[in-house]
Amino acid sequence: MQLSDRITGLFLAGLGLAAAWGGSRLPAVPGQDVGPAAFPMVIGGGLVLCGVMIAFGIGHSFEVPDEDAETGFRFRDLRVLVPPGLLLFYVLAVERLGFMLTAFFIVGTAAVALGARPRLALPLAVGAPIFIHAVFAKLLRVPLADGILPALW
Amino acid sequence: MQDLFEGVRLVLAWDVLIAVLASAIYGLVVGSLPGLSATMATALLVPVTFYLSPIAAIATIITASAMAIFSGDIPGCLLRIPGTPASAAYTDEAYAMTRKGQAELALGAGLWFSAIGGIVGTISLVLMAPLLAEMALSFSTYEYFWLAFLGLMCATLVARSSPIKAIASMLLGLLFACIGMENPAGTPRFVFGITDLLGGIEPIPALVGVFAVSEVMRAMVTPEPPKLPDRKFGSILAGQWALTKKYQWPMWRGNIVGIIIGVLPGAGADMAAWVSYAMSKKWSKEPEKFGTGHVEGLVEAGASNNASLASGWVPALLFGIPGDTITAIAIGVLYMKGLNPGPTLFTERASSMYALYIIFVLANIIMIPLGILMIRLASKILKAPRSAVMPVIILLCAVGSYATGANLFSVLLVGVFGIVGYVMERNGYPVAALVLGIVMGSMVEQNFVTSLIKSDGSPLPFVERPVSAVLASLTLGALLWSAVVWVFNRARRLKATAAAR
Repeated sequence: MQLSDRITGLFLAGLGLAAAWGGSRLPAVPGQDVGPAAFPMVIGGGLVLCGVMIAFGIGHSFEVPDEDAETGFRFRDLRVLVPPGLLLFYVLAVERLGFMLTAFFIVGTAAVALGARPRLALPLAVGAPIFIHAVFAKLLRVPLADGILPALW
Repeated sequence: MQDLFEGVRLVLAWDVLIAVLASAIYGLVVGSLPGLSATMATALLVPVTFYLSPIAAIATIITASAMAIFSGDIPGCLLRIPGTPASAAYTDEAYAMTRKGQAELALGAGLWFSAIGGIVGTISLVLMAPLLAEMALSFSTYEYFWLAFLGLMCATLVARSSPIKAIASMLLGLLFACIGMENPAGTPRFVFGITDLLGGIEPIPALVGVFAVSEVMRAMVTPEPPKLPDRKFGSILAGQWALTKKYQWPMWRGNIVGIIIGVLPGAGADMAAWVSYAMSKKWSKEPEKFGTGHVEGLVEAGASNNASLASGWVPALLFGIPGDTITAIAIGVLYMKGLNPGPTLFTERASSMYALYIIFVLANIIMIPLGILMIRLASKILKAPRSAVMPVIILLCAVGSYATGANLFSVLLVGVFGIVGYVMERNGYPVAALVLGIVMGSMVEQNFVTSLIKSDGSPLPFVERPVSAVLASLTLGALLWSAVVWVFNRARRLKATAAAR
């Protein structure tokens, strides 16, 4: 997901403007000159300034080029979205399915996405959730959801 | 003296000793796996520290980070892939030594001088912190504001990236810190009607997201590192004493530079290693040997990165300002365990401070036998395929962030920060500056707004007191330094193009 400095710079400048505008609309504290608006406005202003400078390529000469910088978009690059997607799945599914099943799915999918063969992915997807459940739920008493497949202990 | 004995008693508790040993093994393994940094190892430990006693919790952070910084040298030396960013400075040198058949000497130097650096860094912490604590007792909000601001500026100054992008990252972190009601006025800001955001963005999900999830995302699209062939090692520590005597001066220079960089708020072990390696080459009697497998740079930079780890705790313990990303995590743990950072920590909780010093020394001593064991087992551990390690990491990210508050919203935040961290890194925005912005946001704002209210909007009181004037000039110097370097470089380039024509 390599974007040009112009795009990231303008995005930051836009974000800074939105922050400063959002900050300026915050209610003032009665009897005080400095309220909750001051800090977001200062930061917003700074972001606008930095964003514009980045968009114009100022400071680019300091950067160390990325060795494995990708060129162009490939469909398989979408795999980068697997880890955050799995975390979203955890949030949506863990209370209904329970920790064991959700974790089985997460570990299995991540392993396959990283190129693991079934003979590695399957035992890992079964073993890792049991181990992590034992550490977190038993040793550390973290309330992990049981769902439809409670742990055997 | 009584505090010292009490400190020893605290450390000798069985739960602390088990925590030290377990986190040492954990740190050594995680640090040695390429892509898993010392910061990530520490961030993933935080949920576990919730359930430990205060001293055991701090012991896990200290031990795991020290071990991870050393064991990052192992894959660097054997595979030319640094295990942690702190080893990147001298990876080529160490690998060149391996190719010359001197792997034992390179790994032994990494281990021996890391341990020495760690112990010298600890001595600096013991000597410096109480002295500075007395001075810090007289600090007002103005000094704290400038200190926090200086910390943020240092983080941008030392980033190996465009300083403007580093400042933008830091500002983005401060903007994230604005979310919620944790501001001097208690007004909900930027919550967009989401009640989970009212409490603000916790640093832990942000840290886990930008350091761990983004690394798993990166692993999805980069090729797997090569496997380490089986090999038998000779004696690891043979010849280290001779090296210590031969390179005594570079070793001390590395220690001192590491300590200074560690104390600077915001600059950490990786910067210490880069600066020390560069200095070693510059001042060496044999600079032509650098890059061909010469141990001198390893001695200096290896000592430097571990020395900076201990001294990084000075601003963290005294002011609650992180010396690096690891102490940024440690500060959260200190607050959670009732050891609130501040100068009074050294007067009111002196025994806890002694315990902390003892743990530092202990961690650096056990590093030697455990490190030798780790080097001997490295070829087995480094065989673990990435497709087996990364899925467990992503599950740990989910469970760990959930454990910090039994709240699923934290897991969602981890995912969001994973994407933010990944996109930022791909585009040259340093994520360490973002994290420091998030961690220090409320402190900067609190002191900024309180100072503004006290001064009635006038900027003069910000620089009237002598210490605040010095801190202000250092901060502005840090800000202007990048601009001066940029103008200088640009002028030189324009001159060169004109000459070429």
